[in-house]
Amino acid sequence: MIIPALIGSLPRPVSLSKKLEQYYLGRLSEEKLEEAYREHTRRAFENLRRAGIRVITDGLYRWDDIFNPLIRFIDGVEVNGLFKFYENNFFYRSPVVKGELSLGENPIPEWLNVALEIKEEVYPGAVLKAVLPGPVTLAYHSINEAYESLDELAEAYAGVLAELMKELPVELVELQEPALAAELSRATREKSDSVSAETAKALIERLEKVKALWVVTYFGTPRGFPEGVILNFDLVEGTLPENYRGDLGVGIVNARETKMERRDRLVDKLKPLLRKHGKLYVTPNTLLDFLPESVAWRKLKLLGKLGGE
Amino acid sequence: MELQILPTSIIGSYPKPRWLLRMYSLYELGRLPEEDFREAVKDASVAVLREHERAGVDIPWDGEMGRSEMTEYFTAKISGFKFYGPVRVWGNAYFNKAAAVSKLEYSEPLVLDEFRWIKANTTREIVKVPITGPYTIAEWSFNEYYSSKEELAFELARILNREFTLLEKEGATFIQIDEPAMLNHPDEVPIAVEAINRAVKGVNVKFGLHVCYSNYNLLADYFDEINVSQFALEFANRGFREMEFLKKLTHGELGFGAVDVHNPRIETPEEVAKAIRKVMKYIEPERLYVNPDCGLKLLDRSIAYQKLVNMVKGVEIIRKELAKEGKESIPFRRSA
Repeated sequence: MIIPALIGSLPRPVSLSKKLEQYYLGRLSEEKLEEAYREHTRRAFENLRRAGIRVITDGLYRWDDIFNPLIRFIDGVEVNGLFKFYENNFFYRSPVVKGELSLGENPIPEWLNVALEIKEEVYPGAVLKAVLPGPVTLAYHSINEAYESLDELAEAYAGVLAELMKELPVELVELQEPALAAELSRATREKSDSVSAETAKALIERLEKVKALWVVTYFGTPRGFPEGVILNFDLVEGTLPENYRGDLGVGIVNARETKMERRDRLVDKLKPLLRKHGKLYVTPNTLLDFLPESVAWRKLKLLGKLGGE
Repeated sequence: MELQILPTSIIGSYPKPRWLLRMYSLYELGRLPEEDFREAVKDASVAVLREHERAGVDIPWDGEMGRSEMTEYFTAKISGFKFYGPVRVWGNAYFNKAAAVSKLEYSEPLVLDEFRWIKANTTREIVKVPITGPYTIAEWSFNEYYSSKEELAFELARILNREFTLLEKEGATFIQIDEPAMLNHPDEVPIAVEAINRAVKGVNVKFGLHVCYSNYNLLADYFDEINVSQFALEFANRGFREMEFLKKLTHGELGFGAVDVHNPRIETPEEVAKAIRKVMKYIEPERLYVNPDCGLKLLDRSIAYQKLVNMVKGVEIIRKELAKEGKESIPFRRSA
C-alpha cells in the first residue's frame, strides 16, 4: 500500500507573509493575525485533501525555519545571525547555546490544537503529525558555548524535546533530522565536533518511547537506523540501503527543482520497494519551502495520484 | 588615479523610499504608466545616490532603485527564463526564482541605462556597478533545460561578459560581481571560479567579488585564481569572528564588511574603528576598502543612512591614525 504524505513545511503563502509584516509593523492586531493563520491553515488542509495527501502537517506556517521559533522557547539558548540551511538559498537563525537547556513556556501545543480543530472540520480522514527539529540536527546547527561535547548537547536537546512532546495533542511526531544523513554542510560553517552514531540512534529511540516518531532525513543517506520509527529516506539525493527493514517513507519527488517528475517513472521506482516493504509512505524529498507555492502543490497532487494499493 | 586611504563604498541595495514602493505596487497592478514609473525610479535613484554621497561614501551607487531583486532583475531581462512564483529565503523575505526553460540569450542590456544615469548624476569620480554573478544566478534558478548547473553557469558567464564589455566601453571603471551563492556547494566552487573568470575575460575594469554569510575557508583557497582585484565580504554579522582565512589573501584587496545589515542597532563610529583595527592585523590598510556587510535594503531607510554615516566616521578615526604614519592615499588598482 502506498500512502502519500507531507513532510515538514509547505511554502508560506505570500498573502500570509504580508499579514505577518503588517503585524510586525503594528498595523495588524494579534487577533487578526491569528485569524490569518487559521484561514491559511484551513486552505492548506482543503488543498491537501483535494491532492489526496493522507498524512499531513500544519505546514509550519507559524515557523520561520525548522528551528524557529522553538529555540526562542528554550532557556539557555540565544538566537544568533543567519546561516545557510545546507546548500540552499534559505537561511535559518542559529541557536547559540549559552547555558543549561530547559523548556520554557511555549504555544506549540496550542498551535497544534488549533490545527487539529481545523483538520477535524475540513479533512477528518487525515492524520496530523507535529513537526519538530530532531536533537541531532539541532545540535549540529547550534553554536555550542555551554556543553562539553556535541553528544552532550544533543542529549540536552532530546530532554527538552521529550518534555515538549508529552504536551503535544497528537499521537505522531515528525522529527526533522537531515543531520542523520548530512551532518553539517560546509556551506553553513566548518564542523568542529560530531554527534556519534550511537548517541544519535539512542536519543531518537528514547524519544520514540514518548510518542510515535516519523524521522525525516534528507540531502543524503542516513548512516544509522533508529528502531521503532518510520524513517524517511531521500531517494532524490540519497539512497535506500538494502538492509533497511523498518517502516519506510520515501522522498521521491524533488522539492528543489521545478521540473515535474513523470508519474510512470515514479511508479516504476516504487514497484520493487512495494514488493519488499508492503507498505510505504511517499513524500517530497525535503521541505517544500524551496519551491514556488504553485509548483509545490503540483508536486503534491502528483504524489497524491500515487496513493493506493 | 589616487583615492583616500580606506575608501568607503557600498555593496549594492538600499531601502527603497516608501513612495517608490507604492509606485512599484501601482505599476505592477497596471495603474501607473511605464513612463511615470521609469521617472519615479530615476528620481529615487538620484535621491539615494545623494544620500550615499551625503553620508560621505567615496564610491557610491544608487541602491538598486530600479531593481526588484538581485537575481530576478537579471533573469527577467535574459530570454529563456520563466517565473513560477516567489520562493522564501528566510522569514518573510522572498524572491522570484526563475526557471531556465530554453536556451538563454542576451536580449537587451542589463544595467547599462542604470550606469549611464548614475554616472551622469554623481558627484564622485568612481561608482561601483554591482551585478549578480553567473554562478549565483545559476544556483538561484531552477534548471529545466541545461544538462548541468555548470553548463547553465557558463552560459550566464557568456551573457555577463557581453554586458561587462559594454559597460567598459561606456566608461565604467569598477564592477562588483555579487556571488553570495558561490560557496553553497563546496564541490562546485571550482565551477563558480571558472564562471567568474569567463565573465571577466578581456574586460579591463576593476572587478570586485562580493560573497556573504558563507564559510570563507572555501573561498580562501581560490583567492589567487579568481581574476578580480577585490573581495568584499561580510564580517559584522558574524561578530568579526573567523578572520584567520584572511592570511591567504596576500595580494588582493579586501572590501571589509564593517556594519551589520541584519541588525537595526546602529554601530558607533568607535565600534567601526575597532573592527577596522582588528582586520588590519590581517590586511594592511593599503589593501583595505570599507563597506557594509551586504546590501542595506532590509533596514529602515533612516537606520541604513545612519549606519553609512557612522561607518564613514569610523573610517575617519582610522584615517587620522594612519595619517600620522604618512599613509593617506592609495592608487585605484584595476588588477590584483
